[in-house]
Amino acid sequence: MLPVVGAGSSLGILNLSAQTPAGNTGSPLKLSYKTLGKTGLKVTSVGMGCMITSDPSVVTRAADLGITYFDTARGYQHGNNERMVGAALGSKRKQVVLSTKTEARDKAGMAKELDTSLSELKTDFVDVWYLHGKSNPSEVHDDMIEALQLAKQQGKARFVGISTHSNQQTLIPWMVQKGVFDVVLSAFNFSMDPAVEQAIDAAAKTGMGVVAMKVMAGGARNQKPGQTLLSALKWVTNHPSVATTIPSMTDMAQLDENVQAMGSTLTAEDHRVLATHLKMIEAEYCRMCGKCEGSCAQGLPVADVLRYVTYADGYGEFALGRERFLQMASEHVSAHCENCPECTVQCPFGVQVQKRMKRAQELFA
Amino acid sequence: MRVVHLALVPFLLMGGMARAQDFLSCQLAPGWTQSEAVHPYTADNLYDYKDGGAEGYLIYGFAGMKSLNCKSGENTLTIDVSEMNDADSAYGLFATNRDPRVPIAKIGMGGQVQAQSASYAKGKYYVEIVLNAADPNSDHAAELTALVNKMAQRMEGRVTPPEALAWFPTEDLSSTGVVPQSVLGLKELKRGYVAKYKQGQAFIVAEETPASAAAVMKVLRQKYDGASDAKVGDEAFQAKAPYLDGICIFRKGRTLGGYANLPTAPEAAAQAVKLAARIP
Repeated sequence: MLPVVGAGSSLGILNLSAQTPAGNTGSPLKLSYKTLGKTGLKVTSVGMGCMITSDPSVVTRAADLGITYFDTARGYQHGNNERMVGAALGSKRKQVVLSTKTEARDKAGMAKELDTSLSELKTDFVDVWYLHGKSNPSEVHDDMIEALQLAKQQGKARFVGISTHSNQQTLIPWMVQKGVFDVVLSAFNFSMDPAVEQAIDAAAKTGMGVVAMKVMAGGARNQKPGQTLLSALKWVTNHPSVATTIPSMTDMAQLDENVQAMGSTLTAEDHRVLATHLKMIEAEYCRMCGKCEGSCAQGLPVADVLRYVTYADGYGEFALGRERFLQMASEHVSAHCENCPECTVQCPFGVQVQKRMKRAQELFA
Repeated sequence: MRVVHLALVPFLLMGGMARAQDFLSCQLAPGWTQSEAVHPYTADNLYDYKDGGAEGYLIYGFAGMKSLNCKSGENTLTIDVSEMNDADSAYGLFATNRDPRVPIAKIGMGGQVQAQSASYAKGKYYVEIVLNAADPNSDHAAELTALVNKMAQRMEGRVTPPEALAWFPTEDLSSTGVVPQSVLGLKELKRGYVAKYKQGQAFIVAEETPASAAAVMKVLRQKYDGASDAKVGDEAFQAKAPYLDGICIFRKGRTLGGYANLPTAPEAAAQAVKLAARIP
């Protein structure tokens, strides 16, 4: 059913030039495989996130190139994405690991969505079925877990998990503790709070499969493909706790570029590129890690204020930033950072907090 | 955990959406009341709301969103109004999310109403409405139709789909849409319009100038071994292409167009002639 490879990480060789749709004269492509935790599924270290792919030819070619992990969701394009992916994979379906997700919040709704997903994807089962976009354990109810387990019993989902974009340091340990989840699909990249990495490492050690997404997020989100993005992808594909990644791809060129990251070691130049990018953003942009909470001598909600000033400086949304700022408690609105001889807030990522807080007060107060 | 990006295009969220109060109101639906404050979202924090789905908005030139929640008894109604960079993008987002099995209704540039959901695009706005009913089998289509019509009447903006969509030949046409990036999966075709047919697909991409369009043509032709000239528009080639089967791509002025996924290149060229004739 799946590519036959050795245990653990391994490499396969494919001649990219023979497969390219555009007559490239690329060098032989190294496919690297990892095992998705205790599921035992062999996956290429670079998978494919299909969410924004509009032309099915890109999905088909990714499968032809040997990529073995494809991710979609019931909610993507209101279901149209699943239909496209199912049609694009066609007869290759059983040669790949296919995952989808549900946003339904009760057992009956989840069961109905899964049946729809299977129909649209033209398959009898999905390899991984995720609860879509959870941040807190409180969002995962017992009947949702029952629906996941039932899907496994019925053979409609081989493995189950949760996708998460935030608060991973709380959610992932909880998933491990619950013992019913096989895989976590987590936003994870070079710019994140070390607490997220610790949670992912701990989960991987217990055998939970780790799939990374938003690997080009954080400091590199929304950038066009380039060296920073390639380095970011290599950073995560080389991470020992991560089995595969699902960068979004809309065209053949992105596909070629991302696939080239497989089997590439993270070089000193990659480290330099990523460090430079972090340096560029760290002085101003809050990563919402929450570690500054409660540390301001005047009791100011530091992360919130940093976010408001970002609305103005980062997006030109002065009105929105000011609106949010003025919604704070009156004592916070009228506070002045210049009254403190020394700022008590130390950002672990190097954001110049006092400078940014003053900026917010100048702009909005 | 979010790191903001300066490269994003500044948008007109507050200016454009300041008028949202005219059409974003639970009172437009009799019997419904607002249950919480309107939530504004930007490209930065859309992930907080559309967790896992934000990219689908961002790629279409998302500028901002306002989300309103209403309630009526045990039923809840969520109205999301997204402002996009332009009307074509708003229509594109509508088209990519619409149910292809349900006909497009004349609501703004186009809309769809189903038993417990509705969507439409008008001007730069893309509207999504989801009704969560205590009875999951209840049909609220009439109620939602009335609501979206009231909302659309209060919105400013274009009420016709992108002009280029009308250039596609209509015989055996299945659907049309706006592709925000990489038409046909080719990065050189940056943004354009696509028509799906019973067999094959057609596309239109507008370049800035005839010269830039010609430059793209040159790059594309070099991709395909065995490409040969075709007599379409100002210049054209046809080829048998991996994954795209029989293709023909032509240039007419600054517009690129063509057909793909037909059995043979000559068949693609024959269809391309018809498309080229409809492009002004």
